[in-house]
Amino acid sequence: MQPYELTVAEAAEAVRTRTVSPVELVNSALERIARVQPRLRAFTAVTADRARATARQAETELAEGIHRGPLHGIPAGLKDLIDVAGLPTTASSRVRNGHRAQTDSTVAARLASAGTALVGKTHTHEFAYGLTTPQTVNAWHPERVAGGSSGGSAVAVAAGAAAFALGTDTGGSIRVPAALNGVVGLKPTYGLVPRHGVTSLAWSLDHVGPLTRTVEDAALVLAALVGHEPRDPASTPAPAVDYRPGPGTDLTGLRVGVPGNYYFDHVDPEVEAAVRRAIGRLEELGARLVDVEIPMTRYIRATQWGLMVPEATAYHERTLREVPDLYGTDVRVLLEAGELLSAGDYLRAQRARTLMRQAWQDMLEAVDLIAAPTVPLTAVNVGRTSVTWGDGSVESVPEAYVRLSAPANLTGVPSLSVPVGLDAAGLPIGMQLMGRPFGEAALLRAGHAYERTGTALGPPPEPAA
Amino acid sequence: MSASDLTPPEAARWAARSGLPLAPDRHAEVAATADHIHAVVSLLRELDFGDAPPAAAYRVEGEPYDAAV
Repeated sequence: MQPYELTVAEAAEAVRTRTVSPVELVNSALERIARVQPRLRAFTAVTADRARATARQAETELAEGIHRGPLHGIPAGLKDLIDVAGLPTTASSRVRNGHRAQTDSTVAARLASAGTALVGKTHTHEFAYGLTTPQTVNAWHPERVAGGSSGGSAVAVAAGAAAFALGTDTGGSIRVPAALNGVVGLKPTYGLVPRHGVTSLAWSLDHVGPLTRTVEDAALVLAALVGHEPRDPASTPAPAVDYRPGPGTDLTGLRVGVPGNYYFDHVDPEVEAAVRRAIGRLEELGARLVDVEIPMTRYIRATQWGLMVPEATAYHERTLREVPDLYGTDVRVLLEAGELLSAGDYLRAQRARTLMRQAWQDMLEAVDLIAAPTVPLTAVNVGRTSVTWGDGSVESVPEAYVRLSAPANLTGVPSLSVPVGLDAAGLPIGMQLMGRPFGEAALLRAGHAYERTGTALGPPPEPAA
Repeated sequence: MSASDLTPPEAARWAARSGLPLAPDRHAEVAATADHIHAVVSLLRELDFGDAPPAAAYRVEGEPYDAAV
């Protein structure tokens, strides 16, 4: 096994016991990047010198007995919406030509403080306003979409080019690419991870979170990110919780809600079967399955659009007027059309969210978490624009990808996507576990227990040399 | 096209009122996209909101701003 193949937990243990050095870890990741980047294009920039310098520093510190914790010397990627002092934050957009961040975002500063070695910035769908990340290629199939908008982060982690990466999630942008590339993605509770210094898509829906190869790794990274940040108005104090799941797999007493509506409607049969098998596995581990009905589903899309569209347009107000031609065509027209939405529409969406949040709170009193597909279909071929469901209805690919993930953004509840198998084409399938606000520990415990039953997908196939 | 849909010239005029002058070759595409968004979002008019306030939240202490896209 090469060092780049180690999970965060394995690498941390290897560093702690001095069986692998941070320099070896980082060099292995950089060699892996050199090998996969021409094929997968996950990174906007590779920061090799910076990573090596951090690794050497970590090695010196460890030799002096200074151990910063489980992320010390671990190679990581950051979605290129996340500011790192001295580096451009490109947002994968020509609009950002010449940009250079003056200061670290809160999450970049916290990871640096934890000793993480930044190996590169990863591609996003332009300004996070899309679900495919067209610059990047799916880690499992060269002709399939990476998913988005944190496509570069998901592909980098799946391919072993980073032990973990951060992404952002406004309607599903961590969980969608995580599902499509067979990795774990965690959208934390709204406000739990600070967004200061992270380019916004829609303030009231934006979240930052980890993409990892295991649930345990997601817990380790989350622990380094939480804590109140006064420069993010939504930021909350870190709960007094140990996120790292224990070794046990007994889920006795855990109440798992299984939706009777919405989450299994218009879902590919292979995806549904894999997720229901995974839910059955949770039951075998002791969980009690409880039927739940998802409230207000008729208004999910309307509320998501009513919030996201005007907020995104507001964020880009100045540049849309100054340099409109520098935006990609798909993003530009959404930003322009967003100017024509009324304040009344926006307020209705805000009020609908109030009702939805309350209704979800009521629903979540009866269960500890809800299990459902992350996305209704696996990674589509690049260029495919729509999907036709069994009843003849047609849905655009972005609408399909965001449909099942958006409710957790509207309600702010945490959602963890875990791989639950492959379809007949060899493409990964994801299941999401959604919990109560600040209920991350329950999701991580259940996801980890599920994973411990031997469900890991392993690495994506390598192309023939 | 429904009665409430914007024609391309109307979309251009509304955009201009928002301070966004649109080149003529943008009018039709922006009108079509705006109409689609409007159709989706208008569904919320079915809801009886009662006394429900908007979910937008802020902290009274305030916070410093970070600028520049």
